[in-house]
Amino acid sequence: MTETPMFNDLHKIGIKFFTLSGNDVPLADFIPVFHRWIQHGSLNDTLVDVADYSHVPAGPGTMLIAHAGNYAIDETGNRRGFLYYSKRELPGSGVEARLAEVCRRNLDACRLLEKDEDTRECIDIDYGRLQIIANDRLHAPNSDETRQALEPVLKNFLARLYPGSGYKLESDSADPRERFSVTVSMQERAQSAEELLSRL
Amino acid sequence: MPVSTWKQKLGDAMPPPMAEEIDAFESQMTLKKQGRIDDKLFAETRLRRGAYGQRYDNGQRHDGIAARQLQFPSAATKGPDTLWDAPGMQRIKIPYGGLTPDQMEILADVAEEYSDAICHVTTRQDIQLHYVHIDDTPDLMRRLAAVGITTREACGNSVRNITGCSVAGVCHDETFDVTPYSRALAWFLLGHPDVQDFGRKVKVAFSGCKGRACALTNIHDLGFIARKQEINGEEKRGFEMYVGGGLGAVPYNAKLFDAFVPEEEIMPLTQAVARVYARLGEKRNRGRARVKFLVDKLGIEEFRRLVHEERKTLPHDARWTGYLDDVAAYAEKPLKPAAGLKPGGGDVHFETWRATNVYRQKQTGYGVATVALPLGDITSWQLRRLAGITRKYCGDSARTTVEQNIVLRWVPEADLPRLYTDLKSIGLAREGAGTLFDVVSCPGTDTCKLGISSSRGLAGEMHQRLATRWQQYDAAVQGLRIKISGCFNSCSQHHLADLGFYGVSRKVGGATVPHFRVVLGGQWEENGGAYGLAIGAVPSKRIPDFIDRIIEKYLAEREGNESFRDFIQRIGKRELKKVVDTLATVPPYQLDPSYYSDWRDPREYSISDIGVGECAGEVVSRIDFDLQNAERLYFEAQLAHEDGDHRKADGTAFAAMVAAAGGLVRLENLDIGDDPDVVIPQFRRLYVETKLFHDRYAGGKFAEYLFARHEQGERPADADQVRLLLEETQLFIEAAHACHARLTEKTDDDRAAAGGRDTADAVNA
Repeated sequence: MTETPMFNDLHKIGIKFFTLSGNDVPLADFIPVFHRWIQHGSLNDTLVDVADYSHVPAGPGTMLIAHAGNYAIDETGNRRGFLYYSKRELPGSGVEARLAEVCRRNLDACRLLEKDEDTRECIDIDYGRLQIIANDRLHAPNSDETRQALEPVLKNFLARLYPGSGYKLESDSADPRERFSVTVSMQERAQSAEELLSRL
Repeated sequence: MPVSTWKQKLGDAMPPPMAEEIDAFESQMTLKKQGRIDDKLFAETRLRRGAYGQRYDNGQRHDGIAARQLQFPSAATKGPDTLWDAPGMQRIKIPYGGLTPDQMEILADVAEEYSDAICHVTTRQDIQLHYVHIDDTPDLMRRLAAVGITTREACGNSVRNITGCSVAGVCHDETFDVTPYSRALAWFLLGHPDVQDFGRKVKVAFSGCKGRACALTNIHDLGFIARKQEINGEEKRGFEMYVGGGLGAVPYNAKLFDAFVPEEEIMPLTQAVARVYARLGEKRNRGRARVKFLVDKLGIEEFRRLVHEERKTLPHDARWTGYLDDVAAYAEKPLKPAAGLKPGGGDVHFETWRATNVYRQKQTGYGVATVALPLGDITSWQLRRLAGITRKYCGDSARTTVEQNIVLRWVPEADLPRLYTDLKSIGLAREGAGTLFDVVSCPGTDTCKLGISSSRGLAGEMHQRLATRWQQYDAAVQGLRIKISGCFNSCSQHHLADLGFYGVSRKVGGATVPHFRVVLGGQWEENGGAYGLAIGAVPSKRIPDFIDRIIEKYLAEREGNESFRDFIQRIGKRELKKVVDTLATVPPYQLDPSYYSDWRDPREYSISDIGVGECAGEVVSRIDFDLQNAERLYFEAQLAHEDGDHRKADGTAFAAMVAAAGGLVRLENLDIGDDPDVVIPQFRRLYVETKLFHDRYAGGKFAEYLFARHEQGERPADADQVRLLLEETQLFIEAAHACHARLTEKTDDDRAAAGGRDTADAVNA
């Protein structure tokens, strides 16, 4: 499959791993966690600040704003999960490589959540259910063309991340005004961020 | 063929002037990256495109342990001490708050793709996006332009968003609908040459009546309140016009300029005010530069006289009255026929929502529904759906409000239950609009460079606490308003609140503790008619307790139906201070460290992150912009030359020289325009014949480049001719810069020689 030039320019990509448990933990509880990550320089980016949107229902929740992308305990669409999305140009010559990079950045943060003394007991990430978002209506509008272009990329990416596992892939919305996004449910889930990171 | 840029994709969808302005801004960004525009000038340039700085953009942040450098990829800057890569805020002008569903959808999209998926409604009916990278702003602006939204002059020293009643046209109390007037003046002033040379910003508001608060004309530099007057037996529309109001650290009530300004005079009079302010307003001392200080200094009578004198000198402009045809034709068409609400059937939540969030229009059978936004925030997901709901119930009649909400107008009352259900499905059916629960807050320390305390943190806390409690109070308390600012600059309009707060800090045992100063008993009605009493400061963490205590005191001690404001006035500062003092003590850190951090920010509190605000913009004179424009055109001419488009390069290079010459001429003649046949003769007379433009060594040579090219008129330029012209253009622009520098030095010398007479005296002389 040859990617169209437009689609190949896609750099603004998001991946959200949904939560298995911990949906009742107040969003404000993640504020000190993210501040601590900034203090310790825990992630490989310039970590700028924490944004608190806990007062907004079904919103971006509690965010860790960084230069290259944002991290969040996100509740968009009333589905809580851990989200990372890139804002600046990503390394990698194709979308598949960039998708892997975004996933790596997300999982690096998930790994911190698994270890953090405030979160390790109260929130579980579902490493078998994720949402993939193209946050760029110019290069990847919510259309059949984008889906056709993305499907083989996703297939390769998911085969690498979950070797041998089947999956169900659903479009989140057919509305062309929405961003292109799909929810992927794997038949076999991984146990930890580390497990997935080892495959990337 | 797939398109690869928004510029290509949107093409003709953008109004050409907007598209050209955005292209120009993008060119200026390129020049800045090349180091060809200085920091101050570029800062004001981006501010005038609404691209504002944000906290930590100097690359330093206190993380609760120590101040640390934020390592951005580039050391490039976008203003003095402002890093290019640091995220910023994009302010988007929404004149009179008017929003269509198409605009809502694009706002949702750009918030999602360039910001953090949140649109924040401000107390001046703008929309703000935070954490935006400046490289994304041109495309962001293009997408907005394609739906008729501009960010031009949303910040900087110019005319900001023009606000207006959110219930204009449907209000029982209005004299007439001010919507078409506010819209016309907003577009008339946008980019107008007379609003480019201010020492500070100018805020304008339109209100349909005197009694309500919707537009808050009393706190504006320029306020218009609708009036009708019988003149020669004919009823005429006009406005009661006010000048010199403003909040900030020291609030000023606006002064009556004229009890009746006929509708055909509002544009020229505004223009005259702008010219007087540009000429006489303070430019060096930023803290004294707003219109309110000029009015105060001159006195309203003298200010009025100067404005009327200025009015006489204005060249006629057909737009002054041309817009009145649009006013006559303006009428909102309801989407659906009127239908009353059938009694009964609504559940208790709907009835509560209806009681606080629905205003019955003067047009029977219609209502205005307020979508109450927590802290003024709405998500992209919600806004996109709200666009659909707006289309479904009221067409395109939505507005933002100065209380950080959105109203849907012309909703048939019979549809209210269904509207409520639809809003509820997207988390936007919160009741309590305009009540104690509807807390207003500026961004404060969350994102503002000037923030001292966490206004949003406190507002979020109050919002959570009051969610279940506000309905338990009696009606007099439910109707109180809480407004919280992060500093004394009053962006939340705390002076007008019943319970107002602004951020301050206090040293306690060597540590710094966040506090809020309490301002009580402001008047929201009568266009923000009176300001509250500033009492003492309370530790940030005790503000919720303070609110409880003052409400308890009011309930226990009010006399009959005494309002909260009257109660505050009656008991006075001394008594109120006692309440403050009971909560003022800060325990030692070892006993309770929670006092030493702010709401929803666990970092140990520090004020070291406070930066230099950009509210004031940079004082950059009109000629600086003209010369910058010349530089930009020269740059674009170079690009066209590189692309082999010699004809375009030739014309653009000539335009660059005309722009530079025009900038100099404009120092003497504000109305010069940009027609070469007008600019060049005046340039010759004012600068060449007087030898002011002459270089010490080259004499008048550089001016001859301009004259020679002008004499040639249209020509089939070849590559060599264009290359030569580009060289000449560069030299001409440099000569214009040098001429301006000499004139400035001479002015400074003259001023010093005159013994420091102030600007006003000098001009009057």
